[in-house]
Amino acid sequence: MADVAIETVTLTIDGVPVTALKGTLVIEAARQMGVMIPHFCYHPKLKPDANCRMCVVEIEKVPKLQTSCSTPVAEGMVVRTATTVVNEAHKSILEFILANHPLDCPVCDQGGRCDLQDFSHESTPTTSRFVEVKRIFQKEYFSPLIETEMNRCVQCLRCVRYCDEVMDVKALAPSGRGTMTEIKHFSIHELDCEFCGGCVQICPVGAITSRLSMYEFRPWMLKRADTICTYCGDGCQITIQTKENELIEVNSSHGAGRNNGDLCPRGFFGYHVSTHPDRLQHPLIRRNGALVQTTWEEALEFIAETCLSLKLAHGPTAFAGLIASRCTNEDLYVFQKFMRLVIGTNQLDSSARYGHINGVRALLRVQGTHRWTIAFEDIVSAHALLLVGTNITETNPITGLKVKEAVKKRGAVLVTVEALQPAIGTISNITNLAAHHVTAHPERFGDAVLGLIKGVVEEGLVDPSLTQRAPEYVKAISEAVRCLPWSAIEQATGSTSSALRAAARAFADAPRAVILVGQGVLRAPGGSGVTTTLLDLLLLTGHHGRPGCGLAPLAEENNDQGAVEMGTVAEFLPGPGDLTDQAVRERIAGLWKEELPQTPGRTLMEILDDARAGTVKVLFVVGENPVGTLPHAARAKEALERLELLVCQELFLTETAALADVVLPACSYAEKSGTFTNTEGHVQSVRQAIEPVGESRPDWEILSALSVLLGYPIEYREPREILKEIRSLISGYGLLGPAPIPPRPDAAVVEGYLKKGFAEDVTSRYSLSSSTDRQAGNLTLVVAQSLFHSGKLSTRAKGLLELQKAGALALNPADATLLGIAEGDQVRLSNARGQMTTSVQVRDRVPEGQAVFPEHFDQEVRRLLSVSPDPQTGAPYFKTTQVKVEKV
Amino acid sequence: MTFGEWVKTITFYEILVGMKSTLKHLINYKPVTLQYPHEKRTLPDNYRGMLALLRYDDDTEKCVGCDLCAAACPSRVIKVISSEVPGEPTKRFAKEYSMDMTRCLFCGLCVEACPVDALAMTREYEWAVYDKRELLLNKQQLLAIGDRSFQVREKRLELQHPNVAFFNVSFKELPQKPS
Repeated sequence: MADVAIETVTLTIDGVPVTALKGTLVIEAARQMGVMIPHFCYHPKLKPDANCRMCVVEIEKVPKLQTSCSTPVAEGMVVRTATTVVNEAHKSILEFILANHPLDCPVCDQGGRCDLQDFSHESTPTTSRFVEVKRIFQKEYFSPLIETEMNRCVQCLRCVRYCDEVMDVKALAPSGRGTMTEIKHFSIHELDCEFCGGCVQICPVGAITSRLSMYEFRPWMLKRADTICTYCGDGCQITIQTKENELIEVNSSHGAGRNNGDLCPRGFFGYHVSTHPDRLQHPLIRRNGALVQTTWEEALEFIAETCLSLKLAHGPTAFAGLIASRCTNEDLYVFQKFMRLVIGTNQLDSSARYGHINGVRALLRVQGTHRWTIAFEDIVSAHALLLVGTNITETNPITGLKVKEAVKKRGAVLVTVEALQPAIGTISNITNLAAHHVTAHPERFGDAVLGLIKGVVEEGLVDPSLTQRAPEYVKAISEAVRCLPWSAIEQATGSTSSALRAAARAFADAPRAVILVGQGVLRAPGGSGVTTTLLDLLLLTGHHGRPGCGLAPLAEENNDQGAVEMGTVAEFLPGPGDLTDQAVRERIAGLWKEELPQTPGRTLMEILDDARAGTVKVLFVVGENPVGTLPHAARAKEALERLELLVCQELFLTETAALADVVLPACSYAEKSGTFTNTEGHVQSVRQAIEPVGESRPDWEILSALSVLLGYPIEYREPREILKEIRSLISGYGLLGPAPIPPRPDAAVVEGYLKKGFAEDVTSRYSLSSSTDRQAGNLTLVVAQSLFHSGKLSTRAKGLLELQKAGALALNPADATLLGIAEGDQVRLSNARGQMTTSVQVRDRVPEGQAVFPEHFDQEVRRLLSVSPDPQTGAPYFKTTQVKVEKV
Repeated sequence: MTFGEWVKTITFYEILVGMKSTLKHLINYKPVTLQYPHEKRTLPDNYRGMLALLRYDDDTEKCVGCDLCAAACPSRVIKVISSEVPGEPTKRFAKEYSMDMTRCLFCGLCVEACPVDALAMTREYEWAVYDKRELLLNKQQLLAIGDRSFQVREKRLELQHPNVAFFNVSFKELPQKPS
């Protein structure tokens, strides 16, 4: 950051003068100038441990050899890395390691990319003076996905330190002494952790390997493709390694992508989806009520003929489209262009509607940007972080790592308003790191935010310059929060007023503060309003608009942000520009050389309503699965059954695709090229790793082919051509640099909001949510994300199914005791809408009164949920409900 | 031209010198050609004939499926698909092993690369076939060649020295995942 004074020192390494930042370690300074000092225990992400002694170097005026991984550079230091003494030292260290390391390289999965192999090869100690028998550890069952071979361990403890320092999971520990030190997991049963695969990636030898790809490959056979993971909005760069068109493994190298080489279980173990045997291989067409295999020509001609006749009969308003925001920007762009120009309707929406749109709309309203005004780097260097309803470890694990880094390494103050409580568990819990924590009810995050704002106002922390700039705004909000009695807030949030005031002070006092808003807020009633209120908090404390400060709504799907920017939501054109904005319309019409349709956009729920009412007769669905996502109460199935033509482009025969008249097989992310825009607005390249499965084709190609048959060709040679066209619409879109350049808040919009904009709903936003007192014995059922799955897609990944096969209801121990339920018991959940049975897990992190069920296995649960669309943004809310829990 | 040269020219001396070996063999007749199917040549000790896979003395395959032979092969003869032995955790073996002998150069690099001496070159060379496809050999065929060519077999690797006791062994005592 700019406000840190940069001090440098000059030293000499191997006779070459080097200038390095003060505090740099000698090993890093050497690497900067291209000298790789051999090492095992050093890793740039970890604190120096200097336990392997491999990186010793000679430093002038220091009598003994020094470990370069723990020695910071000093002015005038003279370092020699390749003298006889140093080389002798390296040789003897390797000899000691090889005294115990088995020479089973031929059967070791690390063989060929092993640090120990490389260094031994370099220093060539071909013989050993040790005649003793090598140590042998008793092998223990470790875990279904991570395999250990402790005989190979060099005891560098990188895995242990990574698990603690970076992941904050602390699942591994060394046990034993000296050469008999062994890496073990705590507990008598198998390893139970986040399964981020970090230990597998960071192990310099083959002591910890992935069981998923065990013995399937040798490193030199693998073909690599750097692409982007599709499991959440973080947009991690992953390297898919393939062998003869077979997915072998996924990893991510240090320094690569926005994730800096860190992954989560979904990224590391969830790659088998693309080659699942259930993938659709051929187009399917409905004949006599059943879907049968057909050819591409027949399927597309059938769609085109039906579309043309229906368009003639009912006009373009009888058409609508839904697309999943897991598609690439190119797919999304071609989809909306297809709907707008070929069909001639604006009735299209994407899965960004489920929640992300709430955050975007709030940002647009208050600061005129549709993106974050910060980047991941700003999270890491923030002084205070406020997390509201993020459930960050499970929903956005890698953004979670940035928060952990900020708190653990940089000492940031963490304030969390989460629907979970601090507890030690098998996976990391962000609230454990919080300096101030409010355990919020999943439907009442807004109340806690109001409590914080009240704290800010009452503690006199309101930015004086804001009071000058917008006295009315400050007055209106101050009055609004003064009207809220502390007693009511305390009752709603379960926190004391002093705790909320302290949290507000900690947040307001920080020079740089960042707010992260998660699915808990964005997918709950009032999502857009609470996000706006959080922007009020930023404005009041004076952080808004300051560099490194901002509000960041976290995207759940990998390209939610792209879906908004490509104009595949009801209210936006590419840009995003407002659908009703005449200037934007004219500009886009000019570039497309075609008039845009006049009809208003329709949101997901409205499209389903229209279908049910019979006004929408044809629906194009690309990767979206409303029947399998929305609760039964939304009657999506009924709506789709009434359609005259339902076309699905899908990977699998989902609940929605099963209702379709034509199902077209689409390519997964591993089989196509394009770009994804991650949650911070960074556009990243997706690269093809394997050949398309069966006859599947990329979504944009299918739409392009259809457009030709429909008489309005939208043709491209390759995805890059589409990106070029996108760039002509949105200048500089997707520069694909190493980091995004976040936009600045639009001063005019902020001014407008402060003058007038805030007033329209200030009273409704600044009132506590109506107390939905639950009946005695009832629990609030929260359908939430699990760390091991993402959407329904990942429930087909064999690795992730090893980690979590089915849904189970997580309960607080107190509730469980009250209900007489123990871990593993079967319970019946029931409410007015229906009932279901499931098993129970007792988890300390679940607050009392709540019951958490993973949304990925919600086939049964969806019967119990109700759905209510947001009055402003149309986002359907269906994540919480009241249920009665009984033991069966 | 000197006198000596003149004499050599008129007596066809050079031709006589050239015919010397021929005439010698005419008198001392010793056939060089082997009557192949009836007579066979003595092979040198390090003769590089047909490739074979070997077994240990307890009839288990030596090959651990490490792919190093495939990596060493200059003409991509060998294809190995390795995996974990079913029911024997952490033990690696070649699930499939095939050689396309139509391409083999008999250079012996694969044999040299093998870390467990599972590959060997036999003294078989009578492999002319009418159908090329018969030269695509699978693991069973290669093992059969090994079986008939090498009667003396080695002890299992893990029994040879304590320091290789954990080279590609299964952990039978490895507890299975609790169900």
